[in-house]
Amino acid sequence: MNKNNRLQNALFYVVVVFISLVVLFPFLWMLSSSFKTQTDIIAWPPKLIFSPTLQNYAKVFGEQDFLKYFINSTVVGGLAVGLSLVIGLPAAYAISRFTQRRLALFILLARLMPGISFLMPWYIIASRLDLMDTYVALVLSHMLIALPIVVWIMSAYFNSIPVELEESAMVDGATRQYAFWAIILPMSGPGIITAVTLSFIFSWNNFMFSQVLSMEKTKTLPIAVYNFVSYAEVDWGGVMAAAVAIMAPAIILTMIFQKFVVKGLTMGAVKG
Amino acid sequence: MKKILASTVVLMSSLCLSATAFAQTKEIRVLLANHPYGELLKAAIPDFEKQSGIKVNFESLQEGQLTTKLTTEFATKSSSVDVFMTRPLQEGKMFNRNGWYEPLTTQDFSDYPKNVMSVAAAGSAPFLVPLVTEWQVLYYRKDLFQAAGVEVPKTFTELEAAAKKLNSDTVAGIASRGKGAAAVTQLSSYVYNFGGQYIDKGVAVFDSAPAVEAIRYYGKLLGSYGPKGVTSMSWENIMPLFQAGKVAMWTDASVFYGQIVDPAKTQVPAANFGIANLPAGPKASSPFLVTSWGIAVAKQSKNKELAFKFLDWATSKELAAKGMLSNITMARSSVWKDPKVLESVNPGLVATRAYAAENGNPLDRPYMSAVGEARDQIGELVIESINTKGESANLAAMAKDKVGRVNDLLKDSGEYGQP
Repeated sequence: MNKNNRLQNALFYVVVVFISLVVLFPFLWMLSSSFKTQTDIIAWPPKLIFSPTLQNYAKVFGEQDFLKYFINSTVVGGLAVGLSLVIGLPAAYAISRFTQRRLALFILLARLMPGISFLMPWYIIASRLDLMDTYVALVLSHMLIALPIVVWIMSAYFNSIPVELEESAMVDGATRQYAFWAIILPMSGPGIITAVTLSFIFSWNNFMFSQVLSMEKTKTLPIAVYNFVSYAEVDWGGVMAAAVAIMAPAIILTMIFQKFVVKGLTMGAVKG
Repeated sequence: MKKILASTVVLMSSLCLSATAFAQTKEIRVLLANHPYGELLKAAIPDFEKQSGIKVNFESLQEGQLTTKLTTEFATKSSSVDVFMTRPLQEGKMFNRNGWYEPLTTQDFSDYPKNVMSVAAAGSAPFLVPLVTEWQVLYYRKDLFQAAGVEVPKTFTELEAAAKKLNSDTVAGIASRGKGAAAVTQLSSYVYNFGGQYIDKGVAVFDSAPAVEAIRYYGKLLGSYGPKGVTSMSWENIMPLFQAGKVAMWTDASVFYGQIVDPAKTQVPAANFGIANLPAGPKASSPFLVTSWGIAVAKQSKNKELAFKFLDWATSKELAAKGMLSNITMARSSVWKDPKVLESVNPGLVATRAYAAENGNPLDRPYMSAVGEARDQIGELVIESINTKGESANLAAMAKDKVGRVNDLLKDSGEYGQP
């Protein structure tokens, strides 16, 4: 029995190590390449030991104004997620309490449909209204990404909160709005954090809308990475350093909120 | 809640207003590519603004992004682009058919090679000004050639013999793109030199005996003496191998020469790299010489006069000379004869360019609207041929099938049979 257990344990760790290697390998490769010179990056066989250089990062934040793109991405992601919460939380609450299945499906459709089908309409709207290269156009288009996530995660989360809580508040004379504001929302922390984290990351990584709706002023990070890809020439070091810089906030955000995210995603899963 | 909603509405509308506030000055919008010449223009634009009093709003985009953006903007008929950099062979046919280029009737094109202009004009008035050309060459390792006692090959027979002799366990005899669609451009000169073509008068003809023979030869070369995994390699993969000294010969576009001999990017001493004309085939010696980038005025532009001013400046001889000094192989012929410019240009580039400008074919891919799809079809032939070292019994039948498919593509867009 004991022996068996130990064997199982060992097997478990072997599998864990194997999976983490597979998952982490590209990331580690990227990280190490971001500290290499172009010659070291393309060296064959690959150099495991090399003298690290910071020139790639100097390029990312010096020659290329990545700080500006950081601010753009943060503003767009932040506003898109914020506004999605303002609209999405009450919507999710209504869907949960009044079981609006069709409405929920309809909102999900926006997420299921390939983003490219929204591209032309967005472009026409933005250019006719003179909204090209403004935060407004980008924020609105990114809400298309964030809103369905907020609504879906939050309606599942609200399902898991017993209705009795609001009912007893309403018996005591509270309006439904007040009950939502004062009782349900304060209890929904983990769910909201999950929704915020996921929708922010999706907005952060979005390429398509930003590509067409932004220009120099509002360029976001995923578009800016391509500044290192020229015709017939790729500055791999720059690409890698930029990729590390872009991934860092997403990784840090996920690490901090990981506990909540797992909880938020599985909340409501066991409740029929 | 209401308060929050109201304040967001106010916030948004005020943002809209501020965006429309400045619109009516003398400005144009220019889309540039992430390309050394785009960089050069970017740096010089302040001078142009000072001289002309025109404000230039420019964006610089990676080539794929540039095409997507232009297509979206033009297709929705709400573009504010005035001038843009464009890839004639990749998107030129489609853009021109859709009427997105403004015809250029007042420009002087006498300074450009004739074969180059045949693409920029497509029968009628030119619709773009060629900026940069590139042509196919043979890069080789002088030191390895010397050690093996091999002369620089002049014919395809010599090329194969050299590849065989130079091939070893550690160094591949020859490399060229093997990754399906990406290989189509580099295969083109082989097809021409065997006497074949991809498309003739609007009909796909790459199932002809010479074309199939060329595909077999290309497959035999790469299958027998190419690097491992060549069928998944494009220039991004081959260049590092060549720079690391793992390949003895490489046939590809001239545009990579600067990077190959750049000591910051190469592990082999620059003096060991040579450049030569692509060897001749049994029927011809006609490497491609293509306009990889041009610049055009948008038909939808509302500031055409200003746009033309910018175009003339951006394609001037002075800037072309500057481009040459930054290692860009410019399209204008006169800069290739300017002794001051030539002082700083590699003689190998000058010689191979002169040869290609004289004998070159202006196309390196099927010239049609659905280029991408057609390249995928031909790419499958390349892979089949490499995998069988050119011996495939199916190749001729496959080529026939692919020709049918490409002809269908041509019919779909109404280009079938059109010269």
